[in-house]
Amino acid sequence: MKTNFVSSYAVSSALRHRLMQMQTDLVKAQKEATTGAVADTGLALGSRTGKLVSLQREVDSLQGMIVSNGLVSGRLNATQEALNRLRTVAEDFASTLTAGISSNSDVTVATTAANGVLETMTAILNNSLNGEYLFAGIDTDIPPFKDFTTAVPATFDTAFQSHFGFAQDDPQAVNITGADMETFLSTVIEPSFLDDSSPAPNWKTEWSNASDQKVVNRISLSERVESSTNANSEGVRRLAMAAASASALLTETMSVEAKAAVLNNALSQVGAAIGRITSEQTQFGIAQNRIKSANDRLEAQKDLFQRSALDLKGVDVAEAATRVSTLLTQIETSYALTARIQNLSILNYLT
Amino acid sequence: MSLSSALSIAQSALLSTSKQTSVVSRNVSEAQNANYSRRQAVVSSTAPGARVVTIQRSASEQLLRQYVSALSSSTAQTTLLAGVGSLTTSVNGVDNTSSPATLMGKLQDALQLYSATPSSEILAESVVEAARQLVSALNNGSKAIQTFRAETDAQLGEAVDKLNSLLADFHNANRQVISDMQAGRDVSDALDRREAFLKQIAEFVPVTTMTRENGDMVLMTGDGTMLYETSPRTISFDRTIVYTAGTDGKAVYIDGIPLAAGNGGNTSASGKISALLQLRDDVAPAMQSQLDEIARGLITVFEETEPSGANAAPGLFTWSPPPAALTAGTLEKGLAAGIRINPAVEADPTLLRDGGINGAAYVWNASGGASYTALLNSYGDRLSDPIAFDASVGIGSSTTVANYASNAVGWVEALRQTASYAAETKEALLTRTGETLSNETGVNIDHEMTLLLDLEHSYQASARLLQAVDEMLASLLAAVR
Repeated sequence: MKTNFVSSYAVSSALRHRLMQMQTDLVKAQKEATTGAVADTGLALGSRTGKLVSLQREVDSLQGMIVSNGLVSGRLNATQEALNRLRTVAEDFASTLTAGISSNSDVTVATTAANGVLETMTAILNNSLNGEYLFAGIDTDIPPFKDFTTAVPATFDTAFQSHFGFAQDDPQAVNITGADMETFLSTVIEPSFLDDSSPAPNWKTEWSNASDQKVVNRISLSERVESSTNANSEGVRRLAMAAASASALLTETMSVEAKAAVLNNALSQVGAAIGRITSEQTQFGIAQNRIKSANDRLEAQKDLFQRSALDLKGVDVAEAATRVSTLLTQIETSYALTARIQNLSILNYLT
Repeated sequence: MSLSSALSIAQSALLSTSKQTSVVSRNVSEAQNANYSRRQAVVSSTAPGARVVTIQRSASEQLLRQYVSALSSSTAQTTLLAGVGSLTTSVNGVDNTSSPATLMGKLQDALQLYSATPSSEILAESVVEAARQLVSALNNGSKAIQTFRAETDAQLGEAVDKLNSLLADFHNANRQVISDMQAGRDVSDALDRREAFLKQIAEFVPVTTMTRENGDMVLMTGDGTMLYETSPRTISFDRTIVYTAGTDGKAVYIDGIPLAAGNGGNTSASGKISALLQLRDDVAPAMQSQLDEIARGLITVFEETEPSGANAAPGLFTWSPPPAALTAGTLEKGLAAGIRINPAVEADPTLLRDGGINGAAYVWNASGGASYTALLNSYGDRLSDPIAFDASVGIGSSTTVANYASNAVGWVEALRQTASYAAETKEALLTRTGETLSNETGVNIDHEMTLLLDLEHSYQASARLLQAVDEMLASLLAAVR
């Protein structure tokens, strides 16, 4: 008579096998309950593991870009603040010049004011942030604005001498008419400041070490922004020209007309300079806005990617914890049953 | 029928009962031996009163065949899974933390940070450091893969040696079966031993059996190659000690025919040897090619050109042994082991910003400004541009380097996932067939114990018979005295 036979070996090995299986599952479920992510992402995701790695990398890179944008922002803010101060200096100088023209007072007021402007300009333009000079273009390790105190008046003197044939404090200077002075200013002085191709001494040799190239930074995956200005911008040149001419060309011996010409020219240059500085400030404001909106977009993207990554590898922690406790109960039951079944033998009943 | 015949019947009953008891005791002692088949004592009557006990061995050819094939399948799958798991960990690290894909992200971040403040030498150094880690991941990954291949080759050598010795043992057991059968002796023990060797052989290669009438067994592999026929066939294998990316391992020859390697995550391989061949010749070289292509992609992206865009030459990444130039879209074997950081950049990291790694003609930052960003920005752009990859490697033909590296991770994890699921299935099948086979041919101790109870009673009864007949004869003889 044949019934379904069960061998002792099969019974005991089956019990052992189930026990091992449950213990492995327990370890896995416990890891998932504590970390909230699948225990082995490769096994759970298969080929989508590549996507998970990409997402995590994107999140890190977006975060890195947000941080680097912070650095660029800092530089923009500092430059904006410096431009503000420069404009204030220019405005004060303009009012001093206006007072000087209208009251026809002693030229020493205008000259002192002009020297003061030049000193302040140097300080502002040689501002640095984190070891980088803000107004130097890409040559950020070299101070952009030269020290002018001795060289500049000398070049003015030389230019005056070569144009008129005598020095500023020569008694013949009283013969210079307003028109002559204006010609001198527009044909000699202005090109030397504004035109880089004019022969030395010009702006690049006497005044500025700054590079013309601006620093361009990447603020998001597809956007670039110019994040620095330089001391070679038109506003700075005109302001320097006005201050330098007011400082070096005004002497007691000159005629009232000539003095008036110098002061008027300086005033108009300062006016133009203020206009240019303001427009630069606007441009920087736009750049600052662009960085802010780029940062907002980067944050939103980062959130999206983080959520996608969590979708891929996340595990419901509550469900995992429930699974752990269920498995524990199952294992304990299985221990009890195994012990009972192994004890079941007819030998216990044979006397 | 006389008293003396009753006596001799009781005597033969005692003999047969003791024989049956010995069968029971043998069964009980071997109850936990998986390679033992239950013996049954079958009592048959030859002549009135004479009993013959023959020992029957319970066996099931069909179940044994199923079990053996499941064993080959499952061993191959677990070998493949273990190999793929160890390769993944050694190349990509735990949770892919040291995979080229992740480290490339770090390089991108360092480059972005450097381009925000190009005058900082510390940030320049950090870019080079990130590149160094990436290079070392590629180099070490390459080395790990080739070491793995060499170890697999050693394992193959051991497996072939073991298989050869198992076949020799099988030969001895087979001859024993034939001679026992010829002499009419009890053949069960020899059959058990032969079956045990068969199961061990099945772990290495898939086996199909054919039994002849005289008990001789013929073994063939799954695809018909002769393994054993009256004498074992030779299995030969030449070891290769050192592996590089271009090295091909030698095949395993059974009776002169090369054994086929398996393929696929749910491997078609059966038996450990096929699976090891698959790991050594298919999986590991595929991973090596992927690393080599990643290396080539990096070298290409960071190539330095003159400001006009001409004369590309190795930039941040260069490689040490020849060839002199890399072809676009073509695999270059061994590149991942040879990729290096350019010594010029190691000496002066700011060359990344200014150009000039390959000489003065390659300098982009003509004015020498410390915050020159154009070259750094262009590297950042190039990292997000797709480049051409060799389609034969199989994980993409036109994509960015970073995506290609992620695809490599996805490929190996997909393989591991398939292998893992298949391993679960095949192991479940193995367990089930093993249980069924054991239930069919194994020993149940309780069953044997109840048989023993019956045998005890029958022995008691026979002994009592003897006693009764003895008393009867004694009383008869007492009457005649």
